[in-house]
Amino acid sequence: MNLWLPKTAAGKRWLGLAPSYFVIGIFMLVPMIIMGVFSFLEPNPYGGVKPVGSVAAYVKLFFEYDLEDQLVFNPGYINIIFRSFQLSTGATLLCLIIGFPVAYYITLLPENRRNLYIYLITIPFWTNLLIRTFAWIIILGRGGVIETPLLAAGIIEDSLRMMYTDGAIAIGLTYSYLPLMVLPIYASLEKIDFRLLEAASDLYATRLEVMTKVVIPLCKPGIIAGCILVFIPCLGAFIAPNLLGGGKKLMLGSLVQFQFASARNWPFGAALSMLLLSAVVIMLIFYARSARKRADMEGSG
Amino acid sequence: MTVAIDIRGVTKVYNPDSKHPVQALDNVSLSIDDNEFFTLLGPSGCGKTTLLRLIAGFEEVSGGEIMLFDEEIENLEPNRRPVNTVFQHYALFPHMTVAQNVGFGLERLKKPKSEIDATVERVLTLVKMMHLGDRRPNQLSGGQQQRVALARALAPSPKVLLLDEPLSALDLKLRQAMREELKQLQKETGITFVFVTHDQEEALAMSDRIAVMSDGEVQQIGGPTDIYEHPVNRFVADFIGDTNFIDGEIVEFNGDLVTCRIGPNSLYEAMNSGGHSVGDKVTLFLRPEKITLAAAGDSNDMQTRPGKVANMVYLGNQAAYTVDMGDGVELTAQARPREDGKLPFGIGDNLVVGFSARALRVLAQ
Repeated sequence: MNLWLPKTAAGKRWLGLAPSYFVIGIFMLVPMIIMGVFSFLEPNPYGGVKPVGSVAAYVKLFFEYDLEDQLVFNPGYINIIFRSFQLSTGATLLCLIIGFPVAYYITLLPENRRNLYIYLITIPFWTNLLIRTFAWIIILGRGGVIETPLLAAGIIEDSLRMMYTDGAIAIGLTYSYLPLMVLPIYASLEKIDFRLLEAASDLYATRLEVMTKVVIPLCKPGIIAGCILVFIPCLGAFIAPNLLGGGKKLMLGSLVQFQFASARNWPFGAALSMLLLSAVVIMLIFYARSARKRADMEGSG
Repeated sequence: MTVAIDIRGVTKVYNPDSKHPVQALDNVSLSIDDNEFFTLLGPSGCGKTTLLRLIAGFEEVSGGEIMLFDEEIENLEPNRRPVNTVFQHYALFPHMTVAQNVGFGLERLKKPKSEIDATVERVLTLVKMMHLGDRRPNQLSGGQQQRVALARALAPSPKVLLLDEPLSALDLKLRQAMREELKQLQKETGITFVFVTHDQEEALAMSDRIAVMSDGEVQQIGGPTDIYEHPVNRFVADFIGDTNFIDGEIVEFNGDLVTCRIGPNSLYEAMNSGGHSVGDKVTLFLRPEKITLAAAGDSNDMQTRPGKVANMVYLGNQAAYTVDMGDGVELTAQARPREDGKLPFGIGDNLVVGFSARALRVLAQ
């Protein structure tokens, strides 16, 4: 007899889920705990950490020591965080503006074509993001694909100086994460009964009102999911900011990467990561709450 | 009488440029009077729903005109046509409450809030759904959703209400109850109803007039008794109710009756429908309920003939008998079970089959 096997239903369920708990524990929880611990230690000048407790990393987020060794408020990092949120919001909005019509168009196609288009949208994921971002340097850069013909035609006289700007970063981020916006929106648009659109126009809704009163409210879960899927990796992105922003215009992700790779201040990098993590968790909690409220409201009676 | 909808030579072809264009409607013309309960009846694929969708504006006509109270509407967007639709599967907005669904059309028409609230209350009361205004559609039963869909379409006071098989998703009892309610509602509101169905019973029970359609064409337009008693062709006679068809040849005219030869040497008297001459091959039709069956030996003053029960189907309140007339003709007739529940005849019994020459009719086409 297998005496050690659980007898109750709850125990059996737990046993069945054990492998996934194990994987999540090893690959997610443990690294996160390490990060949390590191953020409260002192940096080792040659990389890594010294096992001495310290909150210096968190202090550094907001303050610096002036020449007289006084702690003064330093908005530098706060500004970077603020910029990161701004750029990520911009990129998310761009993704939404481009992604929604794309998803809507695909929904209107006949079924066999729809699958093809969805497949095409995922194709960029087959190539390394680094290489794809380099391609944008060729497109946007001095003497690049956009500038050269415009210069040759005499429409512009000087370089547009598109590279190394916030705009370039936003474009890079938008490009990187656009599929993550299209796919969830498509998934929820596809579930909409298109007879509802007929019903709305039958009831005197204009084309715009059909969109705003019926289609968008019904695919709100997809829109929110898409925004979260784009916004969160944008916050932590460092390839697009480094390559297209020239590394001068830092974002949170590039700042974290810089602390680990170059500045050798692991605790500070870890503290920044913890800040990023808590921001994301707070946003997700808000989303989960609003989703639950909606489910309660629409729940079957 | 004012004409509500005038369909003039409307044609609809799907995929006209493809290799396989589908002709859904072929030069259909009909007028629907104001304040009328008009039904488009036909089997699936006959074009009835297409015609309704053309009136609503969900499809574009390939040719012809649609007039709504003397205004040409066939090129208007659906939201510019003062008609509303009750959809087959209700198509209620799942993210809105019942009251919001019903108020949707009025809001789009930019009516003042107080008027919207009053109208929503009035139509919800009309369909007996006032107490469920705060519910969401997925919290309602099929019958309740049907009522909300009806209320939503009635709320903007359309000039014409289009109903696309609205009862087909309901179970039998509810369907029968809703029939009477719909008819009642039409009388109360005075709105012209255009009702699409494939259910001939529904059509006969509710309609002022019926257009029977098949293969994209209108076969016959008329009142329920007209359609049932005087079908113009075999399709209509076959589609509405049960019918016996007998193929024959006209031998002789005799006032408004004709004598037809059936098979090699059997003669039947039948009602003429005009437009035929001696020697024409014609189809005669006879409704089963117009035939009386009696045990052999019982006499009858109608045209009686001997027959033999070939088959029988028990239906509860009656039994359908297939009677072999001995001359190649088989007739389906009905008989009620006796008071003790026993059936009057069994398979193989000899009978006397009686029917009036006025019940046996020559089809016009």
